[in-house]
Amino acid sequence: MKAPVTATGILLLGLLFGTFACSTPPVPPEVQQAQRLDEDLRRTGVSSYAPQDYDRFQGRLKDGRDKIAAEKAKFGWFREYASIRDDFRVLLNEGGTLLQHIRSFKVSKTETFQTRARTLVDRVERLKQMTGYFNENGPVRMNLAQAEIKLAEVGFLLKKEEYEAGSRGLADGEFYVRAAEQAIADVLSRYLDNRELAKWKRWTQESIDESRQKGSVVFLVSKLERRITIYKAGVAVGTYEIGLGRYGLSDKLYAGDEATPEGKYKIVQKFPASEFYKALLINYPNEDDKKAFAAARAKGLIPGQAGIGGAIELHGGGKDSLTKGCVGMENGDMDRVYDYARVGTAVTIVGAVSIENTILAEIVKFEKNG
Amino acid sequence: MKGIKKHVVLVLAIAVALIACKQPTEQINNAKAAIESATKAGADKYAVDESKKLDADLKVAMDEVATQDKKFFKKFGPAKEMLAKIQTDADALKAALPAKVEAAKNLAVSLQGEARKGLDAAKALLDKAPKGKGTAKDLEALKGDLAGAETAFADIQKAIDVQDYIAAQDKAKSVSAAAAKVAEQVQAAIDKVKGVKK
Repeated sequence: MKAPVTATGILLLGLLFGTFACSTPPVPPEVQQAQRLDEDLRRTGVSSYAPQDYDRFQGRLKDGRDKIAAEKAKFGWFREYASIRDDFRVLLNEGGTLLQHIRSFKVSKTETFQTRARTLVDRVERLKQMTGYFNENGPVRMNLAQAEIKLAEVGFLLKKEEYEAGSRGLADGEFYVRAAEQAIADVLSRYLDNRELAKWKRWTQESIDESRQKGSVVFLVSKLERRITIYKAGVAVGTYEIGLGRYGLSDKLYAGDEATPEGKYKIVQKFPASEFYKALLINYPNEDDKKAFAAARAKGLIPGQAGIGGAIELHGGGKDSLTKGCVGMENGDMDRVYDYARVGTAVTIVGAVSIENTILAEIVKFEKNG
Repeated sequence: MKGIKKHVVLVLAIAVALIACKQPTEQINNAKAAIESATKAGADKYAVDESKKLDADLKVAMDEVATQDKKFFKKFGPAKEMLAKIQTDADALKAALPAKVEAAKNLAVSLQGEARKGLDAAKALLDKAPKGKGTAKDLEALKGDLAGAETAFADIQKAIDVQDYIAAQDKAKSVSAAAAKVAEQVQAAIDKVKGVKK
């Protein structure tokens, strides 16, 4: 009788002991919440955004766990979690703030990214349109192509929320866009030079005045505006679109530079049939051209043994072809120009008569609006 | 003998009661450490889907732990099994990473080759394009575009050299797209010269 009672009693005591030891007092729920908060933080990539804050959080989480373990090591009746619960509540508050901060940061980063990328795309498109206005666009297009490739890479990075790498990609894209803008500026800076503009205006006015006084014909070529105007007795009787040399916006200096010369010239020969339909040869180089060439050679600006060049014509064959420095136009327009031309007819070639309605006006507007 | 057996049963009962109550802290820490180790080895870059699955599985396991923690008679057995599996999976993922990195490298090299072919095809098209009426300027502009793409192509190898294979893949895809765009525009210019109407 005694043995079964003792065994049962011990068994009951043991079960009571086990139950009591496990159930009282409970570990605060804040502990579990802190662990889940830790996982949420990790999923947001907190180590990339706020590594020091996260290290601090993890350190204090570990301290809390150690304290829990120390309490659990005690007999159930002696466990006390009140101060630990308070610690975890503070930790939850700080961790929650950190999580919210990172989430807001990511949302704003995404928006900032997309805004920066959109602005860059717009700038690239507008610059590409500008390149249609002049031939010397090789360096511009090269930089714009690299900018577009960078933007494509940034798109991939944005999808993966890799903001640091994406930000660097956008910075690279902006670098290429600035390089393209500089390349445009290098080509067109001369056209914003007031002295050059004043010189061209003076040549234009002198040519028109002479045409009026003598009742003669003058062909006025404006390179930036891409047009030739026929003046007869000081009155414009026809305007046609033209093409230029590969580096036509530059002032011709030597043979092979593929630039279109600027100055006052005369027609010296008419060709009713040439490689480029009808053609009118002008007397490039004139005396000013020879002086400029000599000065450039003295400064070492002429490559190798290059001469001053020649054979500059007004000819047909189309306005969109790239010439070696000649002024090209459509055959039908060339017919009209040819009809007005005589040996000795004045041909004045200027950089620009006016920058309104040209790419320069576009650039000025672009710079103002950003 | 019977008395000893009963005592053993009693001790076992107490032990089970004690052990079953304890949170699987060790298993939780082991699972998290295994995931962390796999992440540091590059799992989040080269095994994105598997990495996300591990995170999701851990969340499920922790939810189970939390659920059991609220009960009077706690059963952490299933949660422990989940956590043990997570640890195993994370370790296996880490072990599999070298092969995945190699696969990423091979893909980067393959995409680099495609980008090269794209650039060469665009260049060949540009070289033979007739510079006829209305196209000379366009073709010159496209030469500039192709030159830009060629410069960007060099960056692919740089990324491969520093073992940033995902970046190399992205760069190669971007260059291929640029080369294809140039080829498309050259073809449009050629069609314009031939007077082909679309």
